[in-house]
Amino acid sequence: MNNRLRVLRAERNWSQAEVAGRLGVSRQTINAIETGKYDPSLPLAFGLARLFERLIEDVFDPDGAKQ
Amino acid sequence: MHFESESTWSWCGDLTARDRRNQWSYILWMLTWMLSFVAGMFLLEFDWVSGAFGYVVALVPSLLGVGAVMAFLRFVRQADELQRKIQVEALGWGFGAGAIFMFGYQLLEGAGLPAIDIADPAAVMFVSWALATVVLARRYA
Repeated sequence: MNNRLRVLRAERNWSQAEVAGRLGVSRQTINAIETGKYDPSLPLAFGLARLFERLIEDVFDPDGAKQ
Repeated sequence: MHFESESTWSWCGDLTARDRRNQWSYILWMLTWMLSFVAGMFLLEFDWVSGAFGYVVALVPSLLGVGAVMAFLRFVRQADELQRKIQVEALGWGFGAGAIFMFGYQLLEGAGLPAIDIADPAAVMFVSWALATVVLARRYA
């Protein structure tokens, strides 16, 4: 599943560790999601969308081109 | 607001502070379990204990083993979701390797290889689980 995490993170100048800390997950988890190696659970996906103040479909795209 | 993650890298991947605490807990439980097993083996092998106390010495490692399993389950239940996925896959590899070794070697014994100790498949299981954890942690790094 493709996502815009890297772009959204860059817009806010947040590191992977900062995003991980805000959501209570490891930096490895955020990195694995960004690189497409791991698809997050629904609660974490909603948590990410809420953190970036976007709709979940604005962050994750199961069909679109990789960001 | 600046907010740094508390996560740190370890042999089984990047862990949150809670996961690291739980990891140390189950590692210490497992070490205690193994040490009590080795101590029990020595005590019983050299007949330093006997009778009812011998049974107590034989059962203590198993009780510590229950503690180790409970500590590991707490680690998995509370783990970061990627770490949980890594552990489930690693346990699959470990269990699979142990089962294949156990049943495979049984046939090889029938073919003429020397008999092995009953604990050997468990050792294969443990080592395979640990190796798989390291490899999978690298895969998701």
